[in-house]
Amino acid sequence: MVDDDPGIRESLSKELRSAGYETIAASDGREGFALTKARSPDLVLTDLAMPVSDGYELISAIRASLTTPIIVLSVRSGDPDIVRALDLGADDYVTKPFSVTELLARVRSQLRRSAKLLSTVLAFEGLTIDLDRRHVVQKGREVRLTPTEFALLELLATNAGRPVLLDQIIARVWHGAPATTGDTVRVHMSALRRKLEPDSANPRYIVNEPWVGYRFIAEPLT
Amino acid sequence: MTAKGWRPVLQWAAAVASIAAVTAGGKLVGLNATTIGYVFLVVVLLLTMWGGLALGLAMSILATACFNFFFLPPYYTFTIEEPANWIALSAFLVTSIVVGRLVVLARRQAERAETRRREIETLYGLSMDLFTSTTRVAPLGEAAGRALTLLGASAGGLVLFEGGNSYRQQVVWWTGPRGDEVEDIVAGVGRHSQPVQLPSRFGTDFYLPLVLGGRASGVLVARGAHTSKEALESVARLVAIAVEREKYIEESAHLGALREADALKTSLLRAISHDLTTPLTSISIRTEGLKRHAARDSDLAEDVNGIAEDTSRLRRRIEGLLAMARLEGGTIRPRPEPTPPGDLFRAVRENLPRVFESRSVTARVEPDCPDAYVDPSLALEVLVNFVENADRVSPAGEPLELFARKHPLAGDQVRIEVLDRGPGIGAIENSSALSPSDVPGRGLGLEIARSLAAASGGSIGLSNRPGGGAVARLDLPAAPAIVAREEV
Repeated sequence: MVDDDPGIRESLSKELRSAGYETIAASDGREGFALTKARSPDLVLTDLAMPVSDGYELISAIRASLTTPIIVLSVRSGDPDIVRALDLGADDYVTKPFSVTELLARVRSQLRRSAKLLSTVLAFEGLTIDLDRRHVVQKGREVRLTPTEFALLELLATNAGRPVLLDQIIARVWHGAPATTGDTVRVHMSALRRKLEPDSANPRYIVNEPWVGYRFIAEPLT
Repeated sequence: MTAKGWRPVLQWAAAVASIAAVTAGGKLVGLNATTIGYVFLVVVLLLTMWGGLALGLAMSILATACFNFFFLPPYYTFTIEEPANWIALSAFLVTSIVVGRLVVLARRQAERAETRRREIETLYGLSMDLFTSTTRVAPLGEAAGRALTLLGASAGGLVLFEGGNSYRQQVVWWTGPRGDEVEDIVAGVGRHSQPVQLPSRFGTDFYLPLVLGGRASGVLVARGAHTSKEALESVARLVAIAVEREKYIEESAHLGALREADALKTSLLRAISHDLTTPLTSISIRTEGLKRHAARDSDLAEDVNGIAEDTSRLRRRIEGLLAMARLEGGTIRPRPEPTPPGDLFRAVRENLPRVFESRSVTARVEPDCPDAYVDPSLALEVLVNFVENADRVSPAGEPLELFARKHPLAGDQVRIEVLDRGPGIGAIENSSALSPSDVPGRGLGLEIARSLAAASGGSIGLSNRPGGGAVARLDLPAAPAIVAREEV
């Protein structure tokens, strides 16, 4: 855990320890990277704004050689800082002040993702996605999706619990086709959501991540 | 007669004397006709250069006469025997006149060049004066005055117009008398942006507008000037540029100060949000730790939950205030994007878990409800505020409803409502037990909500709900509908 504020380092370490995790704390990016190299943790939590060496530096340094999941603790939601951190290779973020419950959920999701073997059938509560047969079943009924909608769903569901940037969606689903804009993505996404979500007032699978992109929120069944 | 008046008489006397001296000298030494002819020519040219064309012409005739009388045979008569001597005499006369004229022209040109040089030097000096040191207008007038004096004006002045109004004259510098008529002429010149030239006792009076493109910013006056109009106009142009520059410097200093204030505000906001958020994060983490420990003691658990709730309310209030300050300070602009109301409802639930746990909250989005085109974080703040207020005024166990639909009257708007079964707004206003923030339109929370909604191009409203309770409304612009062109 990398944060320049001792109060957060101490309180968060305590909470993580009581949730059963072992923690190592560092106060800036450089120290954080040295410890990541030396102790190879399962997951890195880092603040962005830190003196001497900031979170971006740490993310770039880790991503140059390691695949350790990184969760960013950011001060403000909707900040371009977050997009930048995700672009550099961070896996997820929470905005301060966050609730420990939320953070622990994100931590679990990242650890599960990195441990999970790539399966061709993704199962969530009330939703099964068969990637090979391109078959989606929601609460026992088959959902008919267009190829684009299926590609969107596949990308989001394989990244369940993790924000996917608009740019990443355009690159992966549209293969960076030049005329593709955020609007194109939104149109297809809302069509997908209409078909998938049983109640549009209470989305259960896909939500907007303001200014960032989208996130698949359902928990995978183990 | 003055010393100046005597000068031409003396000049002529000296010229005649020098011709006489050459004649006498030539006679004494016994020079032949060719040699004395050259000597006469040289002397006549020198006299022309010294005394001008008229003197030169007279002296060439006198020298011709002396040449004929004393040096061409038969001597001491004006008769000439040999025809060759006629030719020599005529050649001498023509040469001396022509060369004399050339010499005078050359000298005039040199004088004009000298004048231009002086003017240019003066203008250069003026431009240096104007653009290197001044930061106020008073030295500007002095510099213009110095230049006008160097250019030979006997008096003058510099008048600037306040706010471009030629009747509001600010006299920056003035020498000599200044009557009412001067003020009128200056006003006229300023209004028409045309120079005026008037004959006066000392020479010519020039009134030159200070114009750069648009309207005149003032008038430069040169009285009794003998110098060229072009030079004076150059001075006026330079002064006009300097005046503009002055104005620009003043404005940019003002802008600079504004920018600095803005930068200060931004960094202050940043510091505040960081310095408040960090300890708040720490507090909420520790509170959650406490919650876990307090699980067995219900009294303690209640207190800790209260602390957690208050902490998150404090955080939201701070965030709201900061968002409002940022919007008003212009350091952030709302970044609207198509936002499904369902996403907003879900975010509200995540932000207010206690409310959703303690009472039934239903969320409903009409099937034909368009997405809102709004900055999600601003809309969220407003809705969280609505739900918090509704929760606080509602009796325990009474449900809350969140409802999103197409605006019933304006099709290009989305209406999001928060409905409660509390006392309604009429009753709230009569209640003394509530804090001001619960009273619609007067509390900090609603003030923030109103400002954030307005920044999103929306509006908020509050009314009584049929059957009891209140309805808080947030109207937002709808996102334009785009249809996917892809077949199943």
